[in-house]
Amino acid sequence: MVKNMMPYYLSRMGLTVIIGIFLFATGSSIWISILISVLLLALFIWAPHSGRYSVHPEFGITALRRDEFTEVINDKAARNAFVVSMLVLAAITVYFGYAGLILIPASVLKWTLAFGVLTYYGTDLWMRKS
Amino acid sequence: MMNLRNNLKEIRLQKTLTQENLALKVGVTRQTIIAIEQAKFVPSVRLALEITAALCMPFESLFWLEESQGGNNG
Repeated sequence: MVKNMMPYYLSRMGLTVIIGIFLFATGSSIWISILISVLLLALFIWAPHSGRYSVHPEFGITALRRDEFTEVINDKAARNAFVVSMLVLAAITVYFGYAGLILIPASVLKWTLAFGVLTYYGTDLWMRKS
Repeated sequence: MMNLRNNLKEIRLQKTLTQENLALKVGVTRQTIIAIEQAKFVPSVRLALEITAALCMPFESLFWLEESQGGNNG
């Protein structure tokens, strides 16, 4: 199994090295770059054992595939995340409208993204657990 | 309303297959097999046929339609 998955592991190792170099080149400290690369590599190693993907070693570097149950979960999670993001955006717009402010600070708009991401992973976890 | 029911768990156990074994045979995740067994996920026709083929059983002995009892699960 491990031998069959070598193309997957080697490609992900290469990817994490590239990301580490990119982070270092764009101003991150060497230790932060290494830490993020190692964490990313750990995620890649864990992924085939996570039960979230069907494993097909015959596909080489794209050995991990989503099956139809996972696709259903991802579709619902994405839909929920979109709806929540739009509702948060609408609430922020209405709030700032009432407050008489024309410009909405970018720091506030980040909440839209944060709520969307939280909803996505929350839905994903909830659907897998229930 | 008709719901899709199955006795995948019973047939799988008769064949002494684990959820992991069956998932590998069919090419899906173990979570998918669990979700089908617990009637939380209705598989596509293709996947249902792949499961019946993997278990060497006729389709209708694994999956059937049943009148719902007021719920909409399944």
